[in-house]
Amino acid sequence: MAEPQGPGILWPVLGAFLVGGFLLSLAVGPMGLSEGWVVMRLRLPRALLAVLAGSSLAASGCVLQSILRNELATPYTLGISAGAALAAGALIVSNLVVSSLALVATGTLGALVAVAVVYLLARRGSGSAGVRLLLAGITVNLVGASILMLFEYFSPASRLVEIVRWLMGSLAAVDTTVPVFLLLFVVPGMAIVLANTGTLNQLASGETVAASRGVTVGRKRNVLLIASALLAGGSVGAIGPVGFVGLVVPHIMRKLVGGDYRRLVPASAVAGMVALLLADSIARIVISPAELPIGVVMSLVGGPFFLFLLLRSGRY
Amino acid sequence: MPEILEVSDVSLGYGGDAVLREVDLSLDRGDICGIIGPNGAGKTSLIKAILDLDVWWDGNISISGKANDTLSRTERARLVSYVPQSYSQGAELTVEESVLLGRYPHRRSWSRDSGEDLEIAARCMRATDTWRLRSRLYTRLSGGEKRLVLIASALAQQPVLLLLDEPAAALDFRHQVELWLLLNRLASEGLTILLSTHEIGIASGFLTKIMVLAESRCVASGRPDQVLRSDLLSEVFGLGLSVEKHSGGSYVVLPRME
Repeated sequence: MAEPQGPGILWPVLGAFLVGGFLLSLAVGPMGLSEGWVVMRLRLPRALLAVLAGSSLAASGCVLQSILRNELATPYTLGISAGAALAAGALIVSNLVVSSLALVATGTLGALVAVAVVYLLARRGSGSAGVRLLLAGITVNLVGASILMLFEYFSPASRLVEIVRWLMGSLAAVDTTVPVFLLLFVVPGMAIVLANTGTLNQLASGETVAASRGVTVGRKRNVLLIASALLAGGSVGAIGPVGFVGLVVPHIMRKLVGGDYRRLVPASAVAGMVALLLADSIARIVISPAELPIGVVMSLVGGPFFLFLLLRSGRY
Repeated sequence: MPEILEVSDVSLGYGGDAVLREVDLSLDRGDICGIIGPNGAGKTSLIKAILDLDVWWDGNISISGKANDTLSRTERARLVSYVPQSYSQGAELTVEESVLLGRYPHRRSWSRDSGEDLEIAARCMRATDTWRLRSRLYTRLSGGEKRLVLIASALAQQPVLLLLDEPAAALDFRHQVELWLLLNRLASEGLTILLSTHEIGIASGFLTKIMVLAESRCVASGRPDQVLRSDLLSEVFGLGLSVEKHSGGSYVVLPRME
């Protein structure tokens, strides 16, 4: 791999992709741009959702990769997707008639509870805190997925379809309430992460070295875990467990801007917006006027692309 | 003027067990002190107590006249820096970026590197002969080069006291000599250095003080000529050792083959 150069032209390119992706997202669909209400009521909330969730998942991935000192960590490593899926699945199975916002809020709550459980499980024990978090996250993911499978097993077919649809992810916001709801999580979460990008560099260096350079490791790690959980938990609640953004985007940006989190986090956040805007546009174009689930598009496009990058870098 | 490091009547350990008891040590500006002793004697633990990390400690430790238990992490990091024995960098950074990590206690977490930060990092890289490596990735360096970059990063903290945990371990002979010459030069410029080491022979030519730890205590401390005695070292390491002074000022420590 060539040594990463300074960002240089990267910011203008990312900015152009963001604007282009946003406009594309507003333009794509069976009805033309002339239908103003479609653009304002349906596509704008959708594009905003892509921007908020994409940046959140990518930034959250960066945080987890630093704290766990593992480039393959994702926001879902902490059981976030399992928690959200379990909570949303439980609500769907319960047969209660609820608004889409209630489903979003329930998913988010489930994600945050899962992170809390992972944190409590990892609090005690010997060895590195990162490894304990990783093991606790894997356990919560497995147990959560198994309980969800039980729900699915005993659900009537109509509910089963709904759960499966939810798991595939969607950006189809009915109105602006979901993006506004997500903002409640993104603003504090992103503010905390961006204010601590230098600390992420230190935490990636390991606990002892970070502490010797002045980091209050335990406190900073907890604050960043909470921020990461807010970002990813809110996003998963809002759009479902869309994979790969939190893993692939930071990975690609690392090749372009280097490993310094002061550059990596903002670059990944913008690239995450672009990734979701493009994936959602593809999801709406391929079988128009119907649309593909965004989770499927993201994994189908992101998976092989990630594999290509790994093979090309010769690291695996 | 206060001593740079004052350790008096310090006991320390993990959990309920004390690893070291009633240790005293005082270091002046420009001292290079080596902590020697068998594995598990508490060498690293003493360094950790000065860093207030991982171990509990009782007694008094002061750094530049400031009580260690009253210092915040940031305040301590501006006085003391640390080079671990082993270190794997989680983020993929260039040498220059790695050295700049040492500026953390002097700036806000998110802020960019200032002109002063870059200037200090450049000075530290030149001092450690790593300037030529500045745009290489840290992960691609040899073991000896990595050790020098870590020292440059520790120097970028602008400490008064540099702690190193077995700095010469796993280095070839040339890199060991270069490392000791570097530490000697840094000390002559006024930096105080405390390190743990097993390379007693080569280190003895550069150390101004030696502290010998064994069986949870400091069994001897002083100048190399006061401490490096065959009877003392044989007892500490549980092995017959012969100690001879070399004409260059270093000591040769060899096991007696009987």
